[in-house]
Amino acid sequence: MSITLTMPRLSDTMEQGTIIKWNIKEGDEVASGAVVADVETDKATMEMQVYDDGVVARILVDEGTQVPVGTAIALIAEEGEDPSSVDDAPAAAEPAPTEAPAAEAPVSAEPVTAAPETPAAPAAPPASTATGDGRRIKVSPVARRLAEEHRVDLAAIAGSGPGGRIIKRDILEHVERAASAGAVGGTVPVPLPSVEPGAIAVPVIREVPALESTEVEVSGMRQTIARRLVESKQTIPHYQVKMCFAMDAILDLRASMNEKLAAEGVKLSVNDFIVRASALAMAEHPMFNASWAGDRILVHNRVNIGVAVSLSEERGGGLVVATIRDANLKSLRMISAETKSLAGKARDRGLATEEMSDATFTISNLGMFGVDDFTAIINPPNSAILACGAAIEKPVVRDHQLAVGWEMAANLSLDHRVIDGAMAARYLATLKSMIEEPMRLLA
Amino acid sequence: MSAVTDTARASSGGRRPLADRTSATPDQLGHWLRQMLLIREFEVRTMQAYQDKKIGGFCHIYIGQEAVAVGCTAAVRPEDPIVTAYRDHGHALARGMAPKYCMAEMFGRIGGCAKGKGGSMHMFDKPNNLFGGHGIVGAQTPLGTGLGFATKYIDEVIEGGSNRHVTLCFLGDGALNQGAFYEAMNLAGLFDIPVIFVVENNGYSMGTSIDRGTTMANRIIAKGEGCGIAGHELEGMDVIDVYEGMKAIADGCRAESRPAMVDIRTYRFKGHSMSDPRKYRTREEEEHWETDDPITRLRDAMIEGGMIDEDGFKALNREIKGEVRESIKWAEASPEPDLSELYTDVYVERFGPYLGTSMPQIVTDAEENR
Amino acid sequence: MSDRVIEFREALREAMSQEMRRDEKVFLLGEEVAQYDGAYKVSRGMLEEFGPRRIIDTPISESGFAGMAIGAAMMGLRPIVEFMSWSFSLVAADPILNNAPKMLYMSGGQFGCPIVFRGNDGAGGQLGSTHSWCVEGMFSNVPGLKMAIPAFPDDAKGLLASAIRDDDPVFFLESERLLAMKGHVPEGDHYVPFGKALVRKPGTDVTIISFGRPVHFCLEAAEELEKEGISCEVIDGRTIRPLDLDTIVASVKKTNSCVVVDQSWSFGSPGSEVAAQVHAACFDDLDNHVMRVHSADVPTPYASNLEQEYLPNARRIAEAVRSALYVA
Repeated sequence: MSITLTMPRLSDTMEQGTIIKWNIKEGDEVASGAVVADVETDKATMEMQVYDDGVVARILVDEGTQVPVGTAIALIAEEGEDPSSVDDAPAAAEPAPTEAPAAEAPVSAEPVTAAPETPAAPAAPPASTATGDGRRIKVSPVARRLAEEHRVDLAAIAGSGPGGRIIKRDILEHVERAASAGAVGGTVPVPLPSVEPGAIAVPVIREVPALESTEVEVSGMRQTIARRLVESKQTIPHYQVKMCFAMDAILDLRASMNEKLAAEGVKLSVNDFIVRASALAMAEHPMFNASWAGDRILVHNRVNIGVAVSLSEERGGGLVVATIRDANLKSLRMISAETKSLAGKARDRGLATEEMSDATFTISNLGMFGVDDFTAIINPPNSAILACGAAIEKPVVRDHQLAVGWEMAANLSLDHRVIDGAMAARYLATLKSMIEEPMRLLA
Repeated sequence: MSAVTDTARASSGGRRPLADRTSATPDQLGHWLRQMLLIREFEVRTMQAYQDKKIGGFCHIYIGQEAVAVGCTAAVRPEDPIVTAYRDHGHALARGMAPKYCMAEMFGRIGGCAKGKGGSMHMFDKPNNLFGGHGIVGAQTPLGTGLGFATKYIDEVIEGGSNRHVTLCFLGDGALNQGAFYEAMNLAGLFDIPVIFVVENNGYSMGTSIDRGTTMANRIIAKGEGCGIAGHELEGMDVIDVYEGMKAIADGCRAESRPAMVDIRTYRFKGHSMSDPRKYRTREEEEHWETDDPITRLRDAMIEGGMIDEDGFKALNREIKGEVRESIKWAEASPEPDLSELYTDVYVERFGPYLGTSMPQIVTDAEENR
Repeated sequence: MSDRVIEFREALREAMSQEMRRDEKVFLLGEEVAQYDGAYKVSRGMLEEFGPRRIIDTPISESGFAGMAIGAAMMGLRPIVEFMSWSFSLVAADPILNNAPKMLYMSGGQFGCPIVFRGNDGAGGQLGSTHSWCVEGMFSNVPGLKMAIPAFPDDAKGLLASAIRDDDPVFFLESERLLAMKGHVPEGDHYVPFGKALVRKPGTDVTIISFGRPVHFCLEAAEELEKEGISCEVIDGRTIRPLDLDTIVASVKKTNSCVVVDQSWSFGSPGSEVAAQVHAACFDDLDNHVMRVHSADVPTPYASNLEQEYLPNARRIAEAVRSALYVA
């Protein structure tokens, strides 16, 4: 009787593993305790050892291949057994029962350093009513039907009904999350990661009578904002890195340029400089112009800077992101003109879809409101958003002397799946040098 | 009083010449003889068919009581409603139902009077104003009151005339003890309803002799009197006695628009049903009654009166046997109801699974022959 | 909609009187319907108009007069039988269950039974166990009869008029608690067809289906639940036989949740039947099993507080709805 080696569970959260390297080949003798392979888990590369003596009869999984925990990866012929007679389809090659996709235990949202593998949203298999280990999934009939219609894998959902029954609400919330993720950017061909199963159970407040609340009807835009930003904040491992820029030079330059260009009706804003700086910095830092795509990262060649535009209360308020396409190829006055035009249009009659889509990096600026420092939520599928406060005149230290100068806080929110802290620091340093030596932006 | 000790009354009046006893014409008498023979032969073949498993369920045989159904029916008009209990083959045939519809009904065939949906206990014949055979003891008695109520309502309220009808509501002596019968009589008495409660008193409620089951067993018409209903007692083994007595009663009820109760003494020669071993009565008693056969009585009287001879009687008997044989053939040839019939006649209206209603062949044939 | 507002009992009377004027075959009989003007004054004044041959006082003799009326119906008359209370119909069980609904079938189509049995049905008046029957539980089991159970005055008239014109036997269940209820009722001919349920209140989250007086409990519960953000669609079934499954199913397919409210006992009842049919027709559309709210499964108590708790009241309905929607 041959012995089946299966993909071992080498971390507490491991569901899949990749054979990085086999230390054995067919025909090799192995002894109990021998390290036969290096396996990459969700956290690290681990050594895999065998627990039996024998001869390697079959290698079933090639190096570089990822398989679920419990999958047969090799067969060992026991002593006295002819390795060539070992059957390829071992009976014991079933996934370990303890390693079913999470249908019951909600996974806590702590994805920063160890984001588990998640399937891309459109690739979800049709609804099934059993988990990987054959355990029956309790699901209400309409929830099952909806799951089939929306191609939601029931195994990926934690039911909120009695006994963990998956109910209509669970599916609709899941679909809504997936839809907001999938709809981002309109034409960006980026399959966004689907929501981590069961990760989110948002308490929905229906009514608090004691508060004498008034109902405000929610506009479609408000619903979109709510959906997308919840999606972003809950699925993207955000972190922030902040840097302050000296703004004296840029303010001087801006004042003199605006004076000279006044006749032409050009009035550059600080934000125009930031847009240009951010765009130009991409040449050195392409990962800031990229998207997390579930199992890979898409680095975009075109640099489209999104600018958050708040809308007037008369139009129901809200927020849109106007896209300055190919901002790295546009001059300050072009950026300025385009921004003004788009912002005006957004506030007057709304932007067309193409004017709001395909941003690869976004800037949110509350400086004009006197805000000195804030952080923003990433606009999916971007990997970063830059939040700029106002340029503020304050005591500063320059050349070991206390002085009065202008400073602006720049807060970067980042997707840790794409960008690590040091990368963020380097990007901000590039930006800082451009802002503080603004003549570079004129080239 | 037991059924045995009262046999003296059962044979009274049989010796007087026919002409003194009845105004009935020879044709009428011949018709009654024919009807009684038909019932007798029909019931014999019914027993046979039952034992051959061609008939299912319960089956109650009328042999011995033929003079009651034939005499009573003859005493009223065809348009007068009749309703009875479950021992109903005799009433159906006496009312004019062709034996083939009756037999086919028991065979569970579509040609049956109720399309095979009623069975032995539920013979209905709308063209002949027979409002059923009813299976629950006494349940037909309020219906009888209602039929009388309806004819009176139609005659007097709708048509604005005077009462022209009388209803015959047959019951067995077993029904005397049902509350519904008391209520039916009380309402009939109260509302002056022209209905005659004809008790076919054969002395037994299934296996319980009448004196074991009811008070006033030797004078049951007292029960009607308690409801203000005139009572009459008749001998039931002689069709002429039955006819003459019932004719006077029916005419009176029709004219006065009043109910009546009639106690007709009779005897069923067979058991309560086909599965009755008749342990509750003696062979002696049975033999005694069998010597008082209503068919023999009328035959003898007619022979005595020169209306028929032995050969003529035999020929009539042969003819009847042939007729019943034909009815069995017809019934056997009639198809079983289509399974869709399961859902017909539940409601008049068609909805859901229900397929509406239609008249059985007994009605459509009658309409064609009209 | 008519501007005229009349009582439920007047609506019933109007239906009977209009049909009696139209058709001489129609007559009314029952205990105290004539000289006493009806125990609940439903037939007030009808004796004067139609006379004692058509408005007929009977003795207390349900088995007798119910059976008598059935016999009359077999002859083609169209009796209306008033049971002072449906509770009293039990002594007439044989004629009303064994004769009326089966006559057409047993006679192979020869004798129908165009008759209406009507009277008060249901608990709520502290009448104790024997007088508080909801007969729909038992009687709706019988094929061959139709069963109407109005909840509003306009339906009281329209359904009763249809019942009287119907060629099949109709069990018409009124509620003593509703007789004084006022509502807009059309003058003149007004017929509400059988087997057509009415959405009394549209909603999106849950379908509540009921019959007769409990429809009002449902509307009360729906109003309460609306404040919690739960939108209830309340369906008034109007007739139990025929049952308008289509309307119920269309609603459940929309809401995916269903609560059936039935004032009869739960075991073998219209409520259990509706629940079973909804499960069969809407299985893939249900987000939870159909919830049922019935009268408590005990004899009807006398004490007022017990009786109120016994009924399928608004509180119990609201609890069932929350449960159906997985709202704690």
